[in-house]
Amino acid sequence: MIPALRLEGVSFSYGTVPVLANVSFSIASGERVALLGRNGAGKSTLVRLIAGLQWPDQGIVWVGDWDTRDCVPEQLAWRVATVFQHADQQLFATSVRDDVSFGPRALGVGEREVQRRTESALEDVDLTAHADQHPYDLPPGLRKLAALAGALALEPALLVLDEPTIGLDRALRARVTRALLERSAASVALLVITHDLTFAAETLDRGLVLDRGTLACDEPLPSLLGDATRLEPLGLAPPPVAALSTALDLPGRPVREAEAARELARVARGRLAP
Amino acid sequence: MKSLTLDHASFWYPATASPALRDVSLEVGPGEVVALVGALGAGASTLLLVAGDLAPRVTGGRLEGAVARRDRSGIVLPTPWTQVSGMAFTVWDEVAFGPANLGWPAHEISRQVDRALERLELVPLASRDPTTLSGGELQRVIIAAILAMDPGLVLFDEPAAELDAEGARTLWRLIRVLAKEGKGILLATSALDALPEVADRVVWLEQGAVRAVGTPDVLAEAAACEAGLGTSVATVWRDSELPEPAPLTIIDAVRRWR
Repeated sequence: MIPALRLEGVSFSYGTVPVLANVSFSIASGERVALLGRNGAGKSTLVRLIAGLQWPDQGIVWVGDWDTRDCVPEQLAWRVATVFQHADQQLFATSVRDDVSFGPRALGVGEREVQRRTESALEDVDLTAHADQHPYDLPPGLRKLAALAGALALEPALLVLDEPTIGLDRALRARVTRALLERSAASVALLVITHDLTFAAETLDRGLVLDRGTLACDEPLPSLLGDATRLEPLGLAPPPVAALSTALDLPGRPVREAEAARELARVARGRLAP
Repeated sequence: MKSLTLDHASFWYPATASPALRDVSLEVGPGEVVALVGALGAGASTLLLVAGDLAPRVTGGRLEGAVARRDRSGIVLPTPWTQVSGMAFTVWDEVAFGPANLGWPAHEISRQVDRALERLELVPLASRDPTTLSGGELQRVIIAAILAMDPGLVLFDEPAAELDAEGARTLWRLIRVLAKEGKGILLATSALDALPEVADRVVWLEQGAVRAVGTPDVLAEAAACEAGLGTSVATVWRDSELPEPAPLTIIDAVRRWR
């Protein structure tokens, strides 16, 4: 089966500043992938290449069986939806609902389908109550969610999200997790850039790490997040739940809150037993 | 005098009937780090705008009650890219933009800019064009630009949002150093796990009003955890139904676990 995304020896520079060097990986349908790394490691540039806003200097970015060089961004929008780091730059309509419906309407899917997708995407991220508001009357966190709803409404095969949880409280982060897990269960591939490793642990299961433009790591996220000695040279630190599991030597070193709480309770019960 | 005093402050945005801040009284002393926590929309960002004299002066709307500042304040907004001057072709000049507008002599501008760049570990980026920076790099540039104006009261809205782990650690350490130098710090953040090390006091806002004030220990209490404002450690501990009180940090948890 053709992967949702495949990078083949991708290199890219801004003028004389090299950003990405010979990056290769692929993501299958339904996979939930975190793209991690220091500030300036090249993560957001990778997003621009996948969205077709830039082309690689060398190598190929495949979105399904399309080479991004052969596509204009609006064609790629049939398969890949992107939320950029600064969501403000992609919101422009006078209401949240109009903004979310712009994508599917531009795809030309028919008005009834536009409405279904729009309402469903708004509901997925808890924005229905804000649908008639002007995006710029919302706090930055909710503006980010509005951009996410716009991406969900495209119903793409691949969702690429750059820092989707900035400015969100715990309840809304959990809501984003739920929406993404639902999409992944429906075979949507996820590529999520985030510094919020707590969110990554709860939502994603494979970790790619970029280090100065090269792919330094590609492995299951839970084992990576628990390993402080490997994370540190990559500019990362274990999220608190992973650090807690290590500090208390919990069996299986869980990195998700619910699993850590279960293990903690289980070990505590075992200690009390005669 | 306190760095900041809010006395029964209420604030309404233009054309809104219900206040975004309700009867908030709060003091930030010199050398003190006060953290605002709350759900999205609880009023933390609005409180910072009021504290920084941007609301209602710039936003419009209506303020009741009194706000007093001892010194000039500086605010780091949650949208750093909106704070770039757009008038500078290097990071150094961007950071110098604020001090230059304060009319300081050139040697003082240079001193403050160099110091701010060092503190945010930006010296290697000093000659870069700000438009070529990553999100996290830009966030550090904006923080440096605010600190270069040497404000006595520093207001931070989600200052670590775009920073990597190293950048966040550097920032939290720097905030403690700024407090030691006598600055008052008021900080809105969803990075609750950082607060036990950073904040002297935590103010829990709910629907624009102060619900509780205390040491960071507040973030291990049952009410805060239920409202989604517990530290990760406290939340996991409570979810596992281990005996109260829940530990606040990993160090506390290890102590309790033994």
